[in-house]
Amino acid sequence: MSEFTGKQRVQKLFKREPLDRMPCFSGQGTVVIQAIEKMGAPFAKIHTDAKLMAESAITSARLFNMDGVVVPYDMATVAEAMGRGISLYENAEGIIYPTVPDKWKTLEEIDIPKDYMTQGRLPLVDEAFKIIKKEAPDLAVGAWVLGPFTLAGQIMELDILLKGLKKKKDEIAVFLDQVTQVTIDLCKHYQELGVDFISVREMGSGTDLLSPRMWKTLIGPNLKKVFDSITDVPCVNHICGSTDMIIEMMHECGADALSVDQKNNVAETRKKLGNDVLIFGNFDPYNTLTQLEDQAQVEAIIKKCIDDGQDAVWPGCDIWPDVRPENMETYTKTVREYGKKPSPAVGRL
Amino acid sequence: MATHEEILAKLKEAVVEYEEDDCAEAAQEALDAGMDPMVAVMDGLAAGMEKVGVLFDTNEYFVPEVLMCADALYKGLDILRPHIKLDADVPKASVVIGSVQGDVHDIGKNLVKMMFDVAGWDVHDLGRDVPLETFVEKQLDVKSDVLAMSAMMTTTMMGMKKVIAMVKEKNPDCLIMLGGAPVTRDVANLFGADGYAESAGNAVSEGIKMIGRLREYQKGDIK
Repeated sequence: MSEFTGKQRVQKLFKREPLDRMPCFSGQGTVVIQAIEKMGAPFAKIHTDAKLMAESAITSARLFNMDGVVVPYDMATVAEAMGRGISLYENAEGIIYPTVPDKWKTLEEIDIPKDYMTQGRLPLVDEAFKIIKKEAPDLAVGAWVLGPFTLAGQIMELDILLKGLKKKKDEIAVFLDQVTQVTIDLCKHYQELGVDFISVREMGSGTDLLSPRMWKTLIGPNLKKVFDSITDVPCVNHICGSTDMIIEMMHECGADALSVDQKNNVAETRKKLGNDVLIFGNFDPYNTLTQLEDQAQVEAIIKKCIDDGQDAVWPGCDIWPDVRPENMETYTKTVREYGKKPSPAVGRL
Repeated sequence: MATHEEILAKLKEAVVEYEEDDCAEAAQEALDAGMDPMVAVMDGLAAGMEKVGVLFDTNEYFVPEVLMCADALYKGLDILRPHIKLDADVPKASVVIGSVQGDVHDIGKNLVKMMFDVAGWDVHDLGRDVPLETFVEKQLDVKSDVLAMSAMMTTTMMGMKKVIAMVKEKNPDCLIMLGGAPVTRDVANLFGADGYAESAGNAVSEGIKMIGRLREYQKGDIK
């Protein structure tokens, strides 16, 4: 029998207190098709029903003995609440996540409504958190928000935003200030709901898209403001894509932990940041959990994450829900067993 | 009056420095000087974009700069393209391109599209968030030589597999190009695709390399 509940394990991890083993959880979506099928609901429905959202999260965690849950599953909730619409693909075959159909096309059009927090599906997400906290008090509850730049790209056309970074620097800076405040307000709200950690996903800001120089002037300072505002719960700075060139700046933003994807050279990152920093990552979820058929390969990938110096093995992005159950089993089992040895920032009992 | 070499250098420079007005001006200058517009496109605009590709690969330029370079290129292309003489005996190559349903991102798609525009193909751009059946319908309708699809999000890539199967069943000669951040080369192979570009970033590199090959082809270096 485990000494800790999943919630305790995750809480202790963030405090860097000794653990029985590495917690198995994520700040990215971990809902799996096996859980959704068990509830008999179509994929589109779990985004629009608080009970289904909560239960699919809990069931996914229970099926594979994970230590935490994260909701919501899609990136469109805030943009929808701001009146940008929502495409749910209710009649589409298979798994398609909701998207934002009507982004603002110019800076001049942007008008963030004051009451967005009570609009669209945001109240439904709040309700899902309440259900999870009640029905699964043993699990760590994770909230996540988009970082200011990524959220900006959800509410306005990304190419206009990207070109604006060069062509309309001042106007874009003002817009990003506004969006930063939205991210801060959301984090404050989720802290008040009593979540156990918040992951801030600034996933559109890796150096696949932006230069380290732009990151330093336009992304880092706003992220720092966000992390400064999260005072009651631990927080994670997650960026997928290329992060090797910006990892030190990510660290300077002040989150309790960093999360990176498979493009990051974690062994190098460890050398740069030292052993005291919590680092999470960094396996490719689609390849590892959906594609691979050889369990030895899955196990080797997860073990490498641990050997490279991760304090928690997180998927680099959302888990693609259509996982092979045996791969998911191998992933979580390897974390539980191979993660009995101490990680760089967290000792073991 | 500027020499043809000087005009080509100006076109190239305008693309690299993302100067839209300069690019339009140089394109007009090329026409006024009686240059072959196809030469101006290939050795001016496309050559500039190749330089942009190098700057991108060496981390000097990032996506914002590349997007602005593309805007400059189109300013010149819009002026030059109407003057390119078509060979009536050779059918124009065509492509159907779009982002798959569930994907509202189109940066990578638009950069690949630019490559086909530069090469003078007939481009049928379906836009983004395109239902699967629309790709199939359009491809079968126009019988394009290439079908290019992009999915940036992990969540949309499975759809492409279905489209490929449907198109290949009815039109096995159509070349399929896949792009998008989550689609690895292995996945592309698995789906039965013929070409591949990894992400907006790789679409830049891959697309520009294809422009380079087209330029070599035009010069007779590739048979």
